[in-house]
Amino acid sequence: MAARSDSATRFVFTVPDHFLRGFVWLAVACLALFSACTTRGTANNGAAREIRDDAGRRVSIPANVDRVVSLAPNLTEIVFAVGAGDRLVGRTSYCDFPPEAKAVAEVGDTLHPSLERIIALKPQVVLVSTASQLEVFTQQLQGQNIAVYVTDPHDLEGVFRSIGQIGEIVGEKDKAGLLVQKLRERTAAVEAAVKQKQPVRVFYQVSGEPLYTIGRESFITDLMRRAGGASVTADVPGAWPKYSNESALAARPEAIILPTGGSMGSANANVADALRQSPAALQGRVYKINDDHLARPGPRSVDGLEEMARALHPDAFPK
Amino acid sequence: MITTASEAVASPARRKRVTLRKTIVTCAVMAAALLLAIVLMSLLGSEQLPVRASLCALASFGTSTCGLTQDQFDILFQIRLPRILLAAAVGGSLATAGAGYQALLRNPLAEPYLLGISNGAAVGTMIALVFFGAMEWTRPILAFTGALAATLAVYRLARGRAGATPERLILAGVIVTTFLSSVIVFVTVLMDATRIRSFTFWLLGDLSGTSKALLPVAITIAIAGALALTLNARSLNLLMLGERDAFDLGVEVGRVRIVVFVVASLLVGSSVAASGSVGYVGLVIPHLARLSLGSDNRISIPAAALGGALFVIVADTVARTVIAPRELPVGAITALIGAPLFIYLLRRV
Repeated sequence: MAARSDSATRFVFTVPDHFLRGFVWLAVACLALFSACTTRGTANNGAAREIRDDAGRRVSIPANVDRVVSLAPNLTEIVFAVGAGDRLVGRTSYCDFPPEAKAVAEVGDTLHPSLERIIALKPQVVLVSTASQLEVFTQQLQGQNIAVYVTDPHDLEGVFRSIGQIGEIVGEKDKAGLLVQKLRERTAAVEAAVKQKQPVRVFYQVSGEPLYTIGRESFITDLMRRAGGASVTADVPGAWPKYSNESALAARPEAIILPTGGSMGSANANVADALRQSPAALQGRVYKINDDHLARPGPRSVDGLEEMARALHPDAFPK
Repeated sequence: MITTASEAVASPARRKRVTLRKTIVTCAVMAAALLLAIVLMSLLGSEQLPVRASLCALASFGTSTCGLTQDQFDILFQIRLPRILLAAAVGGSLATAGAGYQALLRNPLAEPYLLGISNGAAVGTMIALVFFGAMEWTRPILAFTGALAATLAVYRLARGRAGATPERLILAGVIVTTFLSSVIVFVTVLMDATRIRSFTFWLLGDLSGTSKALLPVAITIAIAGALALTLNARSLNLLMLGERDAFDLGVEVGRVRIVVFVVASLLVGSSVAASGSVGYVGLVIPHLARLSLGSDNRISIPAAALGGALFVIVADTVARTVIAPRELPVGAITALIGAPLFIYLLRRV
């Protein structure tokens, strides 16, 4: 009984001792962490700018951005095109253009990037396309004080906006402005060339089996309109709807565009079975266009625009 | 359920004739319903076709256009009808396979989807798509191999010292299903991004990619499989008494087991290769067949085959019309209808 109460008293006395020691260490650690956080915080927020991204979020961007991670091939292309390729420290396995991009560290693919690797690269900004659907991921990055900028263009104007804003983020506003101006001139030239032409009714085959196409929210619908085409699925809700075989045939497209080649390889190189009897297929108006120029809303989108316009209206462009 | 089975066991010759007549009448009625569904559902779709002309063209078996335009004719005969026939083949196959597993394993919950056999076939099809993408004929073969491997794995896992209890079988199925699901996830991650979307759609069960080459294969296997299991229905009836009793009554248990496993794997393999994993058909339809017609397999297996065909045709018509011109995967519809129906059946029994 006595021994027990003795041990109990000792217990009572030893606890605060441990607790105190532990507390001191904890406090020191906290202080260290806190100071680290605040120093980094002040460095970042010193002259932070706020930019509204395509998801409607206000993103606070540090004044001088010299470390960027891109999580989509089109964003990597934009970063290089505005002359900030040297500031790109991370990219996805899909980012294969320009060739210099391949020298940048990989952080996984667009759908499954490695959070640890991204944080280890210490970027100030991570560029995301909504195609990657990274909501939880975005919160975690923001928790690490890394700005996440979301792009989600629904038309060519939106693509130009992405280029301009990414240029602004990396401090290459002038170069980006110049690039956009050039792209606008090329776009205007295409639009002028096809202006008098009757728009061609086009079915855009994203994939043949099962049949996917472009809908109302896809920027390719806008690109096609500018190229003198009219997507037969322009009113279908969504950006990449799964489409009914019979509706595709019933739409009687005059031309079919097959985005293929590039990083798609030989995939999607054939017209879907359901469209074999369409006017487009019967008259041989099936055009293969490099998927990388069409599916990546970036500087090469205007290449895609030109290729599409030349395919749909060959007589509008002198050889 | 067991009582009816033992009645069937003890049936004298007269009873046999009665059963045969009942089978024929049931099958004739259901076949008529199936035919009617095929015709009616061909009139529905994202595109409106003139009803009369379509009926006339269907009645002429496509030899006359009956005033349909070329496009309308193509929609009816090149797109809609093949898809409906594939739906029938897939539904019939899955329901037959489910009825076969349930009789052989004496487990009302045995179903290709729940036992992981569909997933086995899916893994096989994925391997065929990734490694032999161009060779379409490899898909059903590898799907069959996958289904058979999954069947054997589940069967081995389920056999404990106390024999294969129903709970043990379902647990083995859950384990195989989750394991194969992770294999599928693993392969999708390795697959290039452009194919992932079409793949997820296919995994949920999708009939829109009806392939001209696979359709006759699927129909042949569905019919042959249903016939094969119906011919073994008497042995399956006896097996419902227990393997030992069935053996004593002269059933070659080992042979019947191999027949059911191989036939059911063929059925699941061909339907998964053609349409992905359409769930709940193999569970709900055989149950409905037994509830309404009794558990004599000589009647319930062919009835399940025809009922499964009917069910998937209707489910797929919903899938392709409800948000037209966009589409849903048919597997989502069968699960939406099948799961509540199954709960209802469970509570009623």
